[in-house]
Amino acid sequence: MSLSRPGERGSDRLRSAVARLRAGGVRTVRIARWELTRSVETVDRRTAVALLVVLLLAGSGGLVAVDRGIGLEDGIYRAGVVDDGPYAEVAAGSDRFVVVETAPDEFRRGEADVDLLVTSTGELVPADTETGRAAAGAYREAVEDHNEALMSLESDPAAAYPVLVTVEYRPRVSFDGEGTPAGGESTSDGDDGTSAGEESTSDGEGKPAEEESTSDGDDGPSTDDASLGVPDVGGGLEGTDRPNSPGALSPPFPFESLVLAFLFVVPMNVVIQAYGSTILDERIGRRGELLLVSPASPGEIVLGKSLPYALGLVAIVVVIAAAIGGGPISVAATVPLALAFLSATFVGAMLARSFKELTFVTVAISVGLTTYVFVPAVFADVTPIALVSPLTLVVWELSGDPVAIGQYLFSTAPFYLGSAVCVLFGLGLYREEDMFAQKPVPAKALDALSVRLGGYPSVAVLPVLLLPFVFGAQLLAVSLLFVVPEAVALPTLILIAAAIEELAKSVGVYAGFARSRFEPSLGLAAVLGTLSGVGFFLGEKLTHAVQFVGLRELFVGQVVFGPELAGGPALLAALVFAPLVLHVLTAAVAAIGASRGRAGYAVGLCLATLLHAAYNLGVITLVA
Amino acid sequence: MIDVEGLRKEYGEFTAVVDSTFAVDRGEVFGVVGPNGAGKTTTLKILAGLIEPTAGTARIAGRQPADPATQRELGFLPEESPLYEEMTAVGYLEFFADLYDVPRERAAERIGATLDRLELDHRDRRIGNMSKGMKRKVAIARALVNDPEVVIFDEPASGLDPLTTNYVVEFTRELAAEGTTVLFSAHNLFHVESVCDRIVIMAEGEIVARGTIEGIRERHGGTEYHVLATVDAGDGIVDDGVYRHVLGGMAEVDRLRTAVERDGGEVIDIRTHTPSLEEIFLEVAGRQGSEA
Repeated sequence: MSLSRPGERGSDRLRSAVARLRAGGVRTVRIARWELTRSVETVDRRTAVALLVVLLLAGSGGLVAVDRGIGLEDGIYRAGVVDDGPYAEVAAGSDRFVVVETAPDEFRRGEADVDLLVTSTGELVPADTETGRAAAGAYREAVEDHNEALMSLESDPAAAYPVLVTVEYRPRVSFDGEGTPAGGESTSDGDDGTSAGEESTSDGEGKPAEEESTSDGDDGPSTDDASLGVPDVGGGLEGTDRPNSPGALSPPFPFESLVLAFLFVVPMNVVIQAYGSTILDERIGRRGELLLVSPASPGEIVLGKSLPYALGLVAIVVVIAAAIGGGPISVAATVPLALAFLSATFVGAMLARSFKELTFVTVAISVGLTTYVFVPAVFADVTPIALVSPLTLVVWELSGDPVAIGQYLFSTAPFYLGSAVCVLFGLGLYREEDMFAQKPVPAKALDALSVRLGGYPSVAVLPVLLLPFVFGAQLLAVSLLFVVPEAVALPTLILIAAAIEELAKSVGVYAGFARSRFEPSLGLAAVLGTLSGVGFFLGEKLTHAVQFVGLRELFVGQVVFGPELAGGPALLAALVFAPLVLHVLTAAVAAIGASRGRAGYAVGLCLATLLHAAYNLGVITLVA
Repeated sequence: MIDVEGLRKEYGEFTAVVDSTFAVDRGEVFGVVGPNGAGKTTTLKILAGLIEPTAGTARIAGRQPADPATQRELGFLPEESPLYEEMTAVGYLEFFADLYDVPRERAAERIGATLDRLELDHRDRRIGNMSKGMKRKVAIARALVNDPEVVIFDEPASGLDPLTTNYVVEFTRELAAEGTTVLFSAHNLFHVESVCDRIVIMAEGEIVARGTIEGIRERHGGTEYHVLATVDAGDGIVDDGVYRHVLGGMAEVDRLRTAVERDGGEVIDIRTHTPSLEEIFLEVAGRQGSEA
């Protein structure tokens, strides 16, 4: 008989768990190393070198284009000049002109190969062609640019610009967790900038007002990183210490920062093609069967195969961040995006039946995720909706704006959670019966869901797992529809939001019935629907995170996430428990439909959506 | 070593394996035979830990097949075993040895020895550039790279030429002689007959016959006596003026001989015929099919 204390047993278990974890880690690394070697071996050296050269050319070309423009019009017109006087200088100073010394007689006889003639007196004579007339227009623009340049060189700005107008761009208002503006400092900077401008005008030093009023003025890359044009608010004004003409003014739109942020997404789209192929490759011709009978678990296999791609993407993200002047925030914001790309591709590759289908899947993922992150980021300086996209955090960092931890979590949590859930569902399919079966995509999706149904509690957990997607889909709907007139956006959003939630609540129950996990009785369907509704209600409370960024201030935000709660205890209680009743009722309706088969489920889901939409409309009308 | 009890596998409405029960002793070569769709491969995959049964249990050395400890002691050669064609044979085998936690030196030694036994040359050639027979040998070597106690061979000679096929059968016999427990499935019943100690015959998911090959022959076939006579003494089949009577035992032969003589005829020849496993299989599996 052995004597052992409970503590010893516990420590033994811990040691055993650590040993298992370590062994699993070792196997994962071995698979990752093998995946890397195998992937490299599928590409011969010449192809690899050619790919590298193409990537370098594309990368450097892109950066040069951002820095200097694409230069498509360089040297497209030939300007004939009589001598090297000031008018010839204008043409010579413009990229669009090639200057050729031409005698006026020669031009009149049509013997000169030029698009226009500039005489020594400044007379402009275009050739009688379309190109000639276009060249004349281009020359007039060149004259304006030339004059701007000359004025900017004037030592006394007041002499060059007799009238100075101070343009003040108000700094973007950041929202903290309370939904109140957190840009106090920025606002005062703006004020300072204005007063500085006023002073400069009066003391004659010509200190431009815009220099400080259009930037945060203290720590942003507005002045430090002008080489790549990263600072952006105020268009062409940034980075200069001179006044500008009205033509140089542009609205505050972070275009260049947005373009630079978008650079992160491009390699992700490329990498997922390779990653999707390697996952599907295991399934084609049952190649992965032998890995499944090894001591490595499906989790270790998937993690091992994914690791090289995940690490590669992180490396790419770090390099791009360094190249465009981004920092840790840019990296931290785009890593979850990379994880979302990879995990969505993993699920897609587990669902696809062929490389052809995989192409459709990866394109759908590319378009979906790119839209999700790009569209909201366009409004980085306009509305809190922009925080839906992690690229907004990159834009803010590039623009020198601070990012609060709450904002980071709001922006990236759906990506982290969504990625985790994708991996969980994908792993459910990483077994012989699903990996090598030629089932249609919806059938496999139902398999992936039904694998996670282990008993009654799992019915309540499943809709909670789907919440990141519900949240993401609803945020995307808000992002796409908030610019649409409310008369159209409101009913559309009410229906979309209700449909998304009802689908999330009921699809697991339907999967359970479809895969014979449950007896299709009406009583059991009502019980399962109740469980699903309660689970969803509890999980939905997590979405109160939207309060932190003030999304509910927008009308469309209220439509989707409900209005902010205010009023007496009775009203508050009603507003808390009414959704519980709603979720249970509609989930039960959809579940009862699901127990009757596919057509029954479609009817039940529609009915549940309509009930839910009617409830939302009622609440909005009553409270908002 | 292997215990299967009431094993059942359903795919929706279709039942692939119907309540199978059998046991395999340590060091035995056990055959699983049957026509296509009989449930052989499903049974073997359940034992390999690839598929979960709907009901019943399968144990290897007392453990679940999917238990990592079981997997470490198991070698599985599926009917189709596509390899990673961009890898070399040695690189491929080293990777799997790594996965089975075989120490590097031991792995190199074992890989070398196994490939020697399998007479596989060009070990550093990419698998994609190898012939089908060479690829199958690599697949067999992979199944043995962890020095398993139990080997499951599903159609090991599938698609191979007769020479390589004989080689694989011989190799299986050698493994058994070394004490490895082998579960063997093949369509070619001659190979099963020559290598297996005991077999089960499956048809439509059910085990329809089991035991040693001799025992099955006794039960389902037995020896036939073909008596050729100049007259028909009952149910004779005429062929070129001679009547052939197929009888099941010597007592029947004696009775027939008396009847022939009584009718004024003559017994020309008595031949014995022992049915092959294939004939028994066709009879048993065919009977099962017609009953269904």
